[in-house]
Amino acid sequence: MAKEGKSRAVESKKTKAVNAVIFVLLAILAILTAYPIVYIILGSFKTNSELVSGGLELFPKQFVLDNYVQAWEMGNFSRYTINSLVLSFGVMLVSLFSTSMAGYVFARKEFKLKKLIYNSMVMFMFINVGSTALRPLFELAVKLHMNQSLLAVILISAGMSQATYVFLVHGFMNTVPKELDEAAKIDGCSFFGIYWRIILPVLKPALASVALLSFRGGWNEYILPLIFTMTNEKLRPLTVGVVALQNAGDGAAAWNILFAGSAISIIPIIIVYLFASKQFMGGMTSGAVKG
Amino acid sequence: MKSNLTFSEKLRKKWLNGDIPMWIMLAPTIFFIVVISLYPFIWICRFVFYDYNGFKAYYIGMDNFKRVFTDGIYWSSVVHTFEYAFLKLLFVLPLSLITAVLLQRKRMGSGLFQGIYFLPTVISSAVYSLIWYFIFATYNGVMNGYLQAAHIISQPIDWLGSSKTAMIAVVIVAIWGAFGNYMILLLSGLAGIPDDVYESAKIDGANGIQTFFRITLPMLGPVLKMVIMLAVTTAFKDYQSILVLTGGGPNNRTHVMFSYIYQLTFGTASSQANLQIGYGSVLSIFSAVIVGIITLIYLHFSKKMDEVY
Repeated sequence: MAKEGKSRAVESKKTKAVNAVIFVLLAILAILTAYPIVYIILGSFKTNSELVSGGLELFPKQFVLDNYVQAWEMGNFSRYTINSLVLSFGVMLVSLFSTSMAGYVFARKEFKLKKLIYNSMVMFMFINVGSTALRPLFELAVKLHMNQSLLAVILISAGMSQATYVFLVHGFMNTVPKELDEAAKIDGCSFFGIYWRIILPVLKPALASVALLSFRGGWNEYILPLIFTMTNEKLRPLTVGVVALQNAGDGAAAWNILFAGSAISIIPIIIVYLFASKQFMGGMTSGAVKG
Repeated sequence: MKSNLTFSEKLRKKWLNGDIPMWIMLAPTIFFIVVISLYPFIWICRFVFYDYNGFKAYYIGMDNFKRVFTDGIYWSSVVHTFEYAFLKLLFVLPLSLITAVLLQRKRMGSGLFQGIYFLPTVISSAVYSLIWYFIFATYNGVMNGYLQAAHIISQPIDWLGSSKTAMIAVVIVAIWGAFGNYMILLLSGLAGIPDDVYESAKIDGANGIQTFFRITLPMLGPVLKMVIMLAVTTAFKDYQSILVLTGGGPNNRTHVMFSYIYQLTFGTASSQANLQIGYGSVLSIFSAVIVGIITLIYLHFSKKMDEVY
């Protein structure tokens, strides 16, 4: 007994040492991961001359807000921010609306074309032709005069990401007991009425994930709005606006505006993440694993 | 009984039990499948036979297909895609698995670490690539700054502009941006392994490494396979970050299949002239087939793995 106790004490000392090493390694990885984001946010308060001269100082020598003022007023970033908000709320609303209904119908109805619709969603998730698919959609939008607003971009973004969210809602619907529907049906509720009054409130957790993920999807969309706003700078969201500055020509001279612009385009989504990190990660896994 | 119902009664019944509203409720989803997925696909299949610059389309038969086989840039971009995907997965998969296993147990700071590792996933890859573009800058970038301060290099490296280092830089950004995502997926898989399995392994005297190989890995199997599948297909499809970091340069060194196709169909950052949309359509079909074959090969091997275990 005594011997065993001793070996356990040695073991726990060893475990403690191992745990300490693991902690240090994890912390180094965390610093490396967080570094680019901390660097851009703190760098956005540096003067342009400090940025251009380089150096390893993370904190600005002199804290200036002027970069933000310049980006906001001269760099069109107020416009870009509004566009980003319209785009991400638009994608979120369309996704919530269409995928909650589809998930409900798929979970509660048996019909002939169900398999076909479901399979074609899965199939097009796997067939990837890259950006070429955006060419006909762009030309269609021009023909329908839909390239003067972000509506086409919103619809395409929501449409391209719908499969994951439909699976997410459908998966959640399968855990909702059918007795709930039947009780409402007996009380005279119609099929749509059941969805509207009974199911939607129950679906809240799944819808929160869809809302969060689709908002992020819209906010981070790049290639799609890039293509649609090539000749229409006024419609650019933040992602497109800030990357376009990179190629604007005067390169190094505009670093301070680029830093402030990058910060403006990541801070809002990081704030959302800080408040809802659990839902973010939970939504990711339920969409991918259970789908 | 049934025939006694009048038409309006039938309609009312169909309305109440949802046979009609169902289609109205499915309409947005079906609309998206038809207009956003199916229509472009058919369009592409038609334009493979055309020389199309965005304004005028000429029917040229099979010329686009013939051109593929003599297009050195495309085939080198295929090689780069494999190089990029291989290097990315080589680091991303072990890193996400190790962090997931270590963070699964409650330890000091585990919540914070998890939150930080996942952070890049929340940000647009276009914007984080721009941030890395600053970090990799030759003269005032911090990457060279730190390496010089540590006396690892004596001369600043032109990370994104030199054909020796550009792919390494692109892969570093890809690893940074992706491992947290797969870590979260693996963590949820690990959470599904019941605690008593670990307990009994502990009682049997298994150490951490034995537990990992004998219990964690086999029991994680299905989730791990799904995560690898997701990681492989994503790695072959990546190109957004490359467009921002290098635009496929220097000298096409970092062009992957889909970045090359993007430039054929929409032009480069500096010029939107000389588009070759028909040829881009052919290449996008070739590339989709290549990714499809990779996926099938992976599925075949992961089934084989089932038989071994």
